[in-house]
Amino acid sequence: MSFTYFLKRAVFAALALAALMTSAFFLVRLTGDPANLYLPVDASDAAREAMRVRLGLDHSLPWQFLDWAGDMLSLDFGTSLWHNRPAMDVVLEALPNTLALGAIALTLAFIAAVIIGSIAAVNAGGWIDRGINVLSQAAASVPDFWLGLMGVLLFAVTLRILPTSGFGGPIYWILPVACLFARPFGTLVQIVRGSMIEALNATFVRTARAKGARGGRVTFVHALRNALLPAVTVTGDLAAQFAGGGGVVEVVFGFPGIGKLLIDGILKRDFAIVQASIFAVAVVIFFINILVDMLYASIDPRVRVE
Amino acid sequence: MKKIKGIGALSIGLAFLLAPGSAIRADAASDKLTVVVTDEPKSLDPCDTDLSGNSRILHNNITEALVNLSPADGSVVPSLATGWRQVDELTWEFKLRDDVTFHDGKAFDANAVVAALKRAQDPALACEVGLATLKGVKFNAEAVNPTTLLIKTDIVEPILPNKMSAVDIGSPATPNDGKSRSPAGTGPYKFAAWTPGQSVDLVAYDGYWGDKPTIKNATIIWRAESAVRAAMVATGEAQIAYEIAPQDGTTEQDHSFPNAETSLLRIDAEIPPLNDKRVREALNLAIDRDGLVGTIFHQDAQKAMQAVPPSVFGFNPDIPIWTYDPEKAKSLLAAAKADGVPIDKEIVIYGRIGIYPNSSESLEAIQAMLADAGFNARLEMLETSPWLKKLLKPWDKERQPSILQTQIDNTEGDAVFTLPNRFTTDGNQSTIADAKLDALIAEASKATGDERKKLFEEAFSYIAVDTVNIVPLFHMVTIARVAENVTYTPDVQAGNEIKLKSISYR
Repeated sequence: MSFTYFLKRAVFAALALAALMTSAFFLVRLTGDPANLYLPVDASDAAREAMRVRLGLDHSLPWQFLDWAGDMLSLDFGTSLWHNRPAMDVVLEALPNTLALGAIALTLAFIAAVIIGSIAAVNAGGWIDRGINVLSQAAASVPDFWLGLMGVLLFAVTLRILPTSGFGGPIYWILPVACLFARPFGTLVQIVRGSMIEALNATFVRTARAKGARGGRVTFVHALRNALLPAVTVTGDLAAQFAGGGGVVEVVFGFPGIGKLLIDGILKRDFAIVQASIFAVAVVIFFINILVDMLYASIDPRVRVE
Repeated sequence: MKKIKGIGALSIGLAFLLAPGSAIRADAASDKLTVVVTDEPKSLDPCDTDLSGNSRILHNNITEALVNLSPADGSVVPSLATGWRQVDELTWEFKLRDDVTFHDGKAFDANAVVAALKRAQDPALACEVGLATLKGVKFNAEAVNPTTLLIKTDIVEPILPNKMSAVDIGSPATPNDGKSRSPAGTGPYKFAAWTPGQSVDLVAYDGYWGDKPTIKNATIIWRAESAVRAAMVATGEAQIAYEIAPQDGTTEQDHSFPNAETSLLRIDAEIPPLNDKRVREALNLAIDRDGLVGTIFHQDAQKAMQAVPPSVFGFNPDIPIWTYDPEKAKSLLAAAKADGVPIDKEIVIYGRIGIYPNSSESLEAIQAMLADAGFNARLEMLETSPWLKKLLKPWDKERQPSILQTQIDNTEGDAVFTLPNRFTTDGNQSTIADAKLDALIAEASKATGDERKKLFEEAFSYIAVDTVNIVPLFHMVTIARVAENVTYTPDVQAGNEIKLKSISYR
């Protein structure tokens, strides 16, 4: 990957980021007045107005936008209303947790999906394939919320081998990772299976077999390498989704990640948190996309990142 | 060989992770206690205790007020003040304890109270206490000597001691230019740590002036899901969990307690057809409260007839509870229709998602009951922010007729904390503009003793019977799950304070 390519991508990403942040600015302000949400319902109108003045919400929207844009240029995301701390500090505490959670779940899902999807493709039409199909469909469609609560009931309450929730050592990561694992695993198994069946029927695989290559080598070296590209594309999309947080899984398990922070930020009209979270996640997604491009090039030498 | 080693290491790792009991905390055998609540506190500043999420951690654990309210009858009882008296209409004198020090070593005295009261009313800080409990009155405190304090008000404040129960006194070292995240108070527990997004830790304060608490280390954590909170007590990860949903709170460890909240529907009586009293009566008669309790609402919820629970000073026990009489509701609607009242007009029921457990289900049932009685009602469930726009003035003049789901809490124990904002012409949530009621509430707010009680009772009766401005539903209960080996009985104040010092292991 050349430096020019990176620079070009960075310029486009910066433009997209500016558009995204501008949209975020206006959209969060459409959702309601934080003065009502933050002050006691018995607070006086004068107190509400004073809070609007303090937050700069008494100015016209264009004026607020210019003020905010100036702060953005100096990467000042303001102070979180709820946390009463610099918003980016709060976001940067939560983001690594989410990235680690997503990376573990997605890596495991990718590896498992490649193995299980390949097995299904090799046995296409047989009972193993049908069993894997049912399993992957179920995994792809099971709601995170339900899976999380069932996990708590089974592994924490009944078997007492895992904690119900919380954040700490490796044991606290098992249930959240398992919940986040299910959906990408199910989706990727379907994709790997489909592209593997196609690859296994391709002429280059027949050639490899004709030259006497062993079955395992044909499947996992010749066919799989070609079949991986669609799975990598989808994994990239899933990774971008995960960068935005494990959402409901973080809420169920009290996992201090960016998904929970963002949900709370929206519900509590904490504009600074919402904007800082969106910015941080967008930057992460930019790097995920670069990573996916690099992976493409390393998997398929015909692809050149230029 | 390398592969075998790898598998072996993985197996040992998994065995370690999955070892039975490794996930279960051993708090039960020690002097540690974990309490799980619904949300992270917004603030741990002593001046923000008007918000229950903050108060539960702070009030009477880390920080204390001059006085407390008795959970039994709402009467004012000593805390940091040993006595008080009204000197004249605008002045109260408090005598303070002389054996109290703050957790940071500073002495508790009258000057500390002066500073705390001034800080709570600083508009720049926007303290919850200043914006709610202390709103509308200027409280000026003066230190006569270290143990004598005068509090002067600009208007007559007959329940000043009650209001002081909401003002927690932080150390004089509490910053005046911003909120504190590491409070120092005089309570039985010192603040130890606030790990954002995870927990707040407290440790017993050796220099506490009162009875020493049994629990030496307390951790407050938060989980949004009721089922998870309940599971945490079942597994021993926590010993007390609050706000357990009725469907999760079915074990012997689950205790219901009145939480000083009253659920009701506020009628927008300015807009036809709800400006007709017969229609408002029909709304009340159409609702089968007996059918709701024990099903959607907890079985221990009490049918309400007014906006405050019986523990509140001014509660009127003589207001009759609405019976379920859909036939009478239909006949009232028919009579109104005959007089030209547009009873077919769509009435919107505005609900708030999660205002209490099963809030949406309760309104779905009520919508069906209203439809059975002949109302054209549509349900709209709102998230908090848009719901607040419906709750608080100003409202659009061209608005649709509506009833609004709300829940009113009164932990301060006096009707004045409920009535003026909700039922007077100038109230920011009031849909009623009635000069007689305004005068009644104003007179009651200034009165004392039996006269005050009588006037507030009259006001509640006027709202419920004469104007029929509300559809009272239930005096609510909350469920707390308490571990079997823990001694703790939640009371009416448990929604606002955990009272850690009263908790012990059996």
